[in-house]
Amino acid sequence: MATRAIPRLLQTPAVVLLLIWMLVPLSMTLFYSFIRYVLNSTVRPEWTTPSFSNWRGFGNYQFVWNNDNFWLAIQNSLIIVCSILFLTVILGVLIAVLVNRSFPGLGIVRVLLISPFFVMPAVNAVLWINMILDPVLGLQGLAVGGINDLIGGLRNAPLVGGFFNLWPEFSPVSFRATQTSAIAVIMMVTWQWTPFAVLIFMTSLQSEDQQQKEAAILDGASKWSQFRFLTLPHLGRPIAIVVMIQAIFHLSLYAEIEIVSRGAGNKNLPYLIGEFANNNIGAASATGIFAVILANIVAIFLLRMVGKTLME
Amino acid sequence: MAIVAETTKFSKVAWPVLAWIVALVFFFPIFWMVFTSFKTDADAVKPEFLFRFTPTLENYTNMTDNYDYWRFATNSIITSVSATLLCLFVSVPCAYAMAFNPSRGTKDILMWMLSTKMLPAAAVLYPMIFMAKSLGIYDTRFVVILVLTLINLPIAIWMLFTYFKDIPKDIIEAGQMDGLTTWGEVKEILVPLAWGGIASTALLIFIFCWNEAYWTVRLTTFNAATLSTLIEGNRAPEGLFFGRLSAVSTAAVGPIVVLGWFCQKQLVQGLTFGAVK
Repeated sequence: MATRAIPRLLQTPAVVLLLIWMLVPLSMTLFYSFIRYVLNSTVRPEWTTPSFSNWRGFGNYQFVWNNDNFWLAIQNSLIIVCSILFLTVILGVLIAVLVNRSFPGLGIVRVLLISPFFVMPAVNAVLWINMILDPVLGLQGLAVGGINDLIGGLRNAPLVGGFFNLWPEFSPVSFRATQTSAIAVIMMVTWQWTPFAVLIFMTSLQSEDQQQKEAAILDGASKWSQFRFLTLPHLGRPIAIVVMIQAIFHLSLYAEIEIVSRGAGNKNLPYLIGEFANNNIGAASATGIFAVILANIVAIFLLRMVGKTLME
Repeated sequence: MAIVAETTKFSKVAWPVLAWIVALVFFFPIFWMVFTSFKTDADAVKPEFLFRFTPTLENYTNMTDNYDYWRFATNSIITSVSATLLCLFVSVPCAYAMAFNPSRGTKDILMWMLSTKMLPAAAVLYPMIFMAKSLGIYDTRFVVILVLTLINLPIAIWMLFTYFKDIPKDIIEAGQMDGLTTWGEVKEILVPLAWGGIASTALLIFIFCWNEAYWTVRLTTFNAATLSTLIEGNRAPEGLFFGRLSAVSTAAVGPIVVLGWFCQKQLVQGLTFGAVK
């Protein structure tokens, strides 16, 4: 008995801490989601303290469910997460295959490639939206201005001038606008997380069965079919890992959304919760419970997929 | 090291060149940030000074006046280091027990732990804020350390578990035969053998703590505010001050990026939870 007691004892602190961490705030959120609870109200001051006498039943859930912003936020959450996953996996595989060879400076290339992964999300967002994407002062604005100047100059040139007269003036894109702010977020997070995918795929490629590959070459398999039938299946498990870890991180994206446009056009669930919570804690909590449900749906798939491979 | 058989002279040159270009493109934003940090605010937005300018260190020397950098940096260092240590203190014994004395429930416990990482922070933020306020620990380093420890605990346990799992059990059993206590096993066998794994777990947790924004920004206002708060709080009105913004950003991410360079391989391997060799 003693041999089993010690391992239990060693696990207890971690298990208890995580249990408290999960259960206490979550049950409070659940409680708030069923009551009327606001931070400021001159008309109904009794709603500013959480109590069972303010019971609202599923009223908060109904309010959130019928709120257009809620559906917009779910849509944005899914669009942003799926686009990032799609782009990072595709780019990650391509770059990993590209870098998986020996050439001068491989070590430096790896170091340069991984760097974005270590950048603080807030810095990432500030850097991209200001210094790179700003339509006037950023590199985008400068580049568009430069191209326009170049075309303007060429218009006066002999012979080709007539051709360039047909060209329109380019105008820079504002990435803080409602239509484009989600693209800005996708761009900056893809930049940050592609390196992570690359390094994982690279690690995996290095364990690829070389004999199999040589046999395929002898059999006259084309580069494409080598990639399609040997490399890609080999990358199945790492792709699952990349998708899972990124899903964990990107479902709770916040800093980038706040910094790019304060939620205009790219509001996701965490951001909507923050907006509700400026006053209406009840609605914020109900949205939180919806977010938990969404995360669980995603988690069930991902954990199943990864869990199988991990315990071997 | 897998080397794809090169067939033509063209591919011998073209692919490495393309690899270099891709790497430089990915690194460019960071380079641009560091580069801009040496320009004055006025020069930074002028196209004529895009590449040619008189470098200046004034953005760095004024960082303390402009941003009160060191207060935030001190908080970041103290909270990240403490949270990392606390996290290891709780997770090492747990992962050790799970790897060497697994019971039937171990897999489920591990899965459950990872699932807590899926819990959206936004869903539990407000109860945490109210609790912290009523306990009088809101905006203290203590609450930041506590939360950073808790949010990283599942990842730490997973990573350590996968490292420990690879240690042959025979060695531990031999130790037990020799009469080692549990503490002795940990000290004499586990730590020396799993040192690399523990170190990379610690580094990764440290990086996550340092970069964490959601919780730290919302659980602090002034006293315990970390570098994430500094950057997030200064973004809008400072839009025109690219020079000083770049300098403070460089100072905020510099240490972590350099740290990451030295241990990229172990970090990434750890994050795959041992499923990618």
